[in-house]
Amino acid sequence: MKKSHKLSIFFCTRTFESEAVFLPKAPNSLEVRGVSMACSSMVKDIFLLKAFEAGADAVTVWVCPEGKCRHVEGNLRARKRVERVKALLEAIGFNGRRLTFFNLIPGDLASASDILEGIVATFNIIDGGPSKVSGCCFPGNAALKIQSPFGSNHSIQTDFR
Amino acid sequence: MIVGEQKPIMEILQMVSPHKKLLILGCGTCVKTCFAGGEDEVTTLASVLRLALKTKDIFVQIEELTVERQCEDAFIAEAADAVSRNEAVLSLACGAGVQAVARRFPRSLVLPGVNTTFLGVLERRGLFTEECSGCGDCQLAVFGGICPVTRCAKKLLNGPCGGSRNGKCEVNADTDCAWHLIIERLSAQGRLNQLRAYVPPKQWQASLSGGPRKLIREDHVI
Amino acid sequence: MKTEPISNLERVLSEGRFAVTAECGPPRGANAEVIRKKGALLKEVVDAVNVTDNQTAIVRMSSISSCAHLLALGIEPVMQMVTRDRNRIALQSDILGAYSLGIQNILCLSGDHQRFGSQPDSLNVFDIDSMNLVRTVYTMREEGTDMSGHLLDGSPRMYIGAAANPFADPFEYRVIRLAKKIDAGADFIQTQCVYNLERFRQWMSMASGEGLTEKVHILAGVTPIKSAGMARYMAKNVAGMDVPESIIRRMSQVPKEKAAEEGIAICLETVAALQEIPGVHGIHIMAIEWEEQVKIIVERAGLLPRP
Repeated sequence: MKKSHKLSIFFCTRTFESEAVFLPKAPNSLEVRGVSMACSSMVKDIFLLKAFEAGADAVTVWVCPEGKCRHVEGNLRARKRVERVKALLEAIGFNGRRLTFFNLIPGDLASASDILEGIVATFNIIDGGPSKVSGCCFPGNAALKIQSPFGSNHSIQTDFR
Repeated sequence: MIVGEQKPIMEILQMVSPHKKLLILGCGTCVKTCFAGGEDEVTTLASVLRLALKTKDIFVQIEELTVERQCEDAFIAEAADAVSRNEAVLSLACGAGVQAVARRFPRSLVLPGVNTTFLGVLERRGLFTEECSGCGDCQLAVFGGICPVTRCAKKLLNGPCGGSRNGKCEVNADTDCAWHLIIERLSAQGRLNQLRAYVPPKQWQASLSGGPRKLIREDHVI
Repeated sequence: MKTEPISNLERVLSEGRFAVTAECGPPRGANAEVIRKKGALLKEVVDAVNVTDNQTAIVRMSSISSCAHLLALGIEPVMQMVTRDRNRIALQSDILGAYSLGIQNILCLSGDHQRFGSQPDSLNVFDIDSMNLVRTVYTMREEGTDMSGHLLDGSPRMYIGAAANPFADPFEYRVIRLAKKIDAGADFIQTQCVYNLERFRQWMSMASGEGLTEKVHILAGVTPIKSAGMARYMAKNVAGMDVPESIIRRMSQVPKEKAAEEGIAICLETVAALQEIPGVHGIHIMAIEWEEQVKIIVERAGLLPRP
């Protein structure tokens, strides 16, 4: 089945170890790309924006429950940044619903599944079709390397072409 | 530091969308500290602009560059090539930096991307507060280290007025009454009687009313 | 050097009598009839009438011109002057002009901030503060010079007033502030309106403790309350106002038609109490837009006829 929408999921490795865990739960109409982070605080404004630039129709950020971040404030920072990017997107005419944020109990696949269904439903509300920027050809690098302050290296592919 | 805030995105969009090749020029000093125009902010802004323009089917090629400071020629000069190959420059420096860049490259279109607001400090994470008006005649010793010219909404030198409420300013309940703070500070130091002395009218000649000021250090001029 | 009392207000106070002043606000327009009508309600009821200066930063007919209208009716004005809107040049100029017109009393104030007025986008001035203004008028009178030291061709010899708020300043600073105003040259003080007599008595006793009541004439402010709503509003929204719960309760407990009467009753009780406090040399009645009550209050307080 042709995938009609592209979704980037930025997730803390404490919620799920890797995208392999929740990918099977993704509805068939969604092309999902996961970006794992050692802590959700590593979500910077620019990564969310680059995901949209590279063609994502929606971006979602999954973090640990409030008060449970193993680095104490990481999930709070992540939420603030997501709120800021959301406001920026809305200011330029994007539907803010395209960017979402969820606190997840580690390993809660049932919730992950609900969220993914919810995102598909959202597309019906937004515009029933892929966003204008998907499949566009932006020059410049869409692959970013994040240096984790806690040691490991992650390479993020946000390129949907 | 000088504190400023990036202009609303729609205002920036309106300024830049007529141009096909745009340089966003960041500054690594004051505006970086207040998250208005440093390298990170340049990158984020470029991304937002590209997304915004794409929805309007407008294509603008955006180049990103940040220099240490835009208030010094030696650093501005580093941007010369980038400035020349773009149609317009959106400077994210404070008003002084924007003007310095515009002066250095007088045939280029230099646009301001930041609203410069005040001279202030980082009070705590995420909070910047205005502290100094640059009056040119500092009398902080008289007022226990708290400036009534800047922090009193009425610039009273013999305050307080009758308008403060629970230690907060008449104008804004979130703002501390500067005079309340001065009295508290001097009381704690056992120096409240210092305020018994009449403070004469301020001499504003050292301040902004006389046109743009200059400082010349002859010992540095060869 | 002044010897003879300058104005009627000074005469009353220097003769040791209990003075009565009231306030009137100019119109938001050029209609002088408004001032004349208010003046007529206050003539011979009070010793002098304060005219406000763009109060609450709302544009009104100027204080100086309104004072001139009152003078024409044979009423003695107290020109209120704020430092919010005019720099030292304009302030001194207006003082000279006011005196030349026959205005002999001035009340020096900083002024309500323009943020909540009718022109919130305006740039305020505050070149000098109210304390500086007191000193300026004092110097003009006593030394005959303006702020630049220039010897004036005709010096304005005005009776100088300043405001004081016994309920606002941090406690430890109140006496210092009053002393400062007296040193700057204030002849009389008009206070914020009094509802909390206990606190007012405290302030007065601190002031007399420092000998200040010998050096300046203090007139206590009074404002009759029209309704329970007004009492609650003042308690909550007006800076520097102390309206005790007991007053609000009294106003809330009477039926609406009786509210005004109760307000006047409270006012009269306050006036009677104030007359007993040593160092209080008069009252300043602020019955804004209710000027017809002033005569009633003064009469029922036994303060008519005026000397």
